Amino acid sequence: MQSANIKVSPPPLSLLVERRFPLEMNVTLPEIRELYDSGKAGRWNPHRDIDWNALSADGYDETTRQAARRTWSRLLWIEATGLTETPALIVRFCMESGREIDPKFFLTVRNTEEAWHIECFDRLAQAFGGRIARPADRAYENVFNRGLYRRVLDSNQSLDSYVAVHAAFEDGLELELCRTWRSNATNPAVAAVLDRVIGDKERHAAFGWLYLASRAPHWTDKERQLIASELAVHIQGTELRGYHCPWLAPEHAAVEAEADAITAAAGLGAASRGAEEDTLADYVGNARTRLAEFGVSLQTFETNRMRTF
Amino acid sequence: MALSREMSNEQAFELVQTLLDGPENRFPLTFNSDLPRIRELFHAATRNQWDPKTDVAWDQLDPDSYTEEQRSAARLYWSRRAWSEYGAISESPVLQVRFGVEQRPSDMQLFFTIRSQEEARHAEVCHAMAERLGGYIDKPVQNLFQGSVATHGVRRAALNANIPLEGIIAALVCTAEEIAFDVFRHLDDVTRDPVAKQVVRLIMRDESRHCAFGWYFLEAICETLTDEQKGMIEESVVTMMEKVELNGYHSSWLAPESPASLAEVEADRITYEAGLGSTVEEVEKPVFIGTVQRIREQMKSLGINLPMFSHPKLGTI
Repeated sequence: MQSANIKVSPPPLSLLVERRFPLEMNVTLPEIRELYDSGKAGRWNPHRDIDWNALSADGYDETTRQAARRTWSRLLWIEATGLTETPALIVRFCMESGREIDPKFFLTVRNTEEAWHIECFDRLAQAFGGRIARPADRAYENVFNRGLYRRVLDSNQSLDSYVAVHAAFEDGLELELCRTWRSNATNPAVAAVLDRVIGDKERHAAFGWLYLASRAPHWTDKERQLIASELAVHIQGTELRGYHCPWLAPEHAAVEAEADAITAAAGLGAASRGAEEDTLADYVGNARTRLAEFGVSLQTFETNRMRTF
Repeated sequence: MALSREMSNEQAFELVQTLLDGPENRFPLTFNSDLPRIRELFHAATRNQWDPKTDVAWDQLDPDSYTEEQRSAARLYWSRRAWSEYGAISESPVLQVRFGVEQRPSDMQLFFTIRSQEEARHAEVCHAMAERLGGYIDKPVQNLFQGSVATHGVRRAALNANIPLEGIIAALVCTAEEIAFDVFRHLDDVTRDPVAKQVVRLIMRDESRHCAFGWYFLEAICETLTDEQKGMIEESVVTMMEKVELNGYHSSWLAPESPASLAEVEADRITYEAGLGSTVEEVEKPVFIGTVQRIREQMKSLGINLPMFSHPKLGTI
C-alpha cells in the first residue's frame, strides 16, 4: 500500500465546513449553464476525432522531432495542472456557502476536456520521440509546482480572486497563446489538435470572465485591491518566470525556449518569440481594460525580456 | 469545529492537517498506462457520453397521467436522488486530488475527470425529473433526515494521509457504489414510466464503470497488501456499511425510524406503486442482502474478510 510521500508540515490547512442544504440546483447563472450545455454538446474523442496518421512525425528531421517532443512535453506539464487544480476548485465551490450550481457543473466538463488535451499532447510528444518527464533544468520545475490545489482549498484564499487570476486571466492567456500557435501550425494533425483545444479553452476562459461579471457588483474596494494584487503576483511570479513562455526565463528555461523556436519554424505547434510577445502584451492590455470595468486596476509590468506591458 | 445546523452567517471552517500540506512535486511526470483496464474505462466513458438535455425522451413524460399525490411523492424521490448524486460531485474530485498528490497511476486521474462529469449529469437529470414532476425540492422535508443523506464523510477521509486510499476505494466504490448499482438494476426492473426507466438505465450504464474502477484497482494492488493493511480496508468497509448504508443513505427504509424517515419511506412507496422510479422495503430487501453477500465473496477472493452485519430490518446478513 502506497503512503503519501509527503512531508507534513504546519500550518494546517483551513478548510471550509460544508453546509449542503438548502441545495440550490436551479439555473442561477444562465450564461455559465449554457457553457456547460455547449461543452456536453461539443463532446469529442481524441482517438476518434483527430487524424493521427496525418501527423507523419517521421517526415521531420531528428532535430525538429526532438524539439517538438520537448515543446509538447512542456505543454503537457502545463495541462497536467488541471488534473489536481480543477477538482480542487470544484470542491471549493461545493464547500463555500451560497456558490451556484452552474460553475460546479461546468467545471466537471472542463476537467474532462483537460484530460482529453493531456491525451493529445502526450500522444504528440510520444510520436516525436517520447514524452520528456521533467524540465532540462531542475530549477524550472518550481515554476510548475505551484500547489494550486491547496491554495484554492484554503479558506483564507478568496474564491473570487482565485477565479479572477486562474480561471479568467490565466485561462484567457492560454486561449490566446493557443490561437497564436494554431495560426503558425502547418501540420494538419497538430492543427486539428489545436482547433479542438481552442474550442474548449474558449469556454474555459469565458467561464472565468462571466463569473467575475456576476460577482463584481458585490465586491468591496478591498476585494478589488486583493484581486489586483494577486494578479500582479501571478504575472510576476509565474508568467515572467516562463510558465507559458519559456523565452521569458532563459536562466532556467533556455532549453525549452530553444526547442519552441525550432518547433515554431517547423509549423508543429509553437510560435516565434516575437509572436508570443505580441500575444502576451495584447492580451494583458485587453485584460486590463476588462478588469477596469469591474473596478480592478491592473498595474503595468516591466522586464528586460520584453517591452513594458 | 463541529458542523451544526445553527452555524452563523460567518461560515464555519476547521484547521486540519492534510496530505496537501507538503509542497507540490509533480515531476517526473508520467502518463504511462500502468492500469490499462482503468485507462480503457476512461476511453469507454469518452465514447459513451450522453446529455440529459438531448438524450432523454422528455416528451414521453406525462405528469398529468399521475395523481397529485404520486407527482408529489415522485418529485421528492427524484430530488433526494439529485442530492445523493450531488454529493458525488463534491466527493469524487477530492479523491482525484489525492491520486495526483500521491502520484498514483495517471489512469486513475484521467478516469475520475469523466467520472465527476457523469455525477454532474446524474444530478442534472434527477433534478430535471423532479422539476417536471412538480418542482425540485432543495432540502429534506424534515431536518432529521439530513443525517441520512448529507454526506459520506469521504472528503475528509480523502484528505487524511492516515486513512489509506485503498480503504476509501473499497468502502466508497466497491461497497457503496456497488450497492447503488444493484439498486439501479433493480429499479430498471420495477420502473414502468418510460422516461424514468430511461433515466435509470443511463445512470446505471455509467455506474457500471464506476464500480469496475474500484475492483480493477483493488485487484491490481491486492497482492502487495499486508494483513494489517487488509485489516484497515476491512475497517473502512465496515464503517461505510454501518454508518452510511445501514443508516439509509441509499435506501430510506434502512434509516433509523423517525417521523422524517417514515415520511420518506411513504413517498418512496407511492413513487414505486406509480412506477416512477423508487422501490420499497419488501422488494428491495433481497436485492440489498444479495449485494452485501456478493461484495463479501468478491472481497474474500482478494483476502479481505468482511464480518456479518446486523440491522433491525435485515437481521444478520
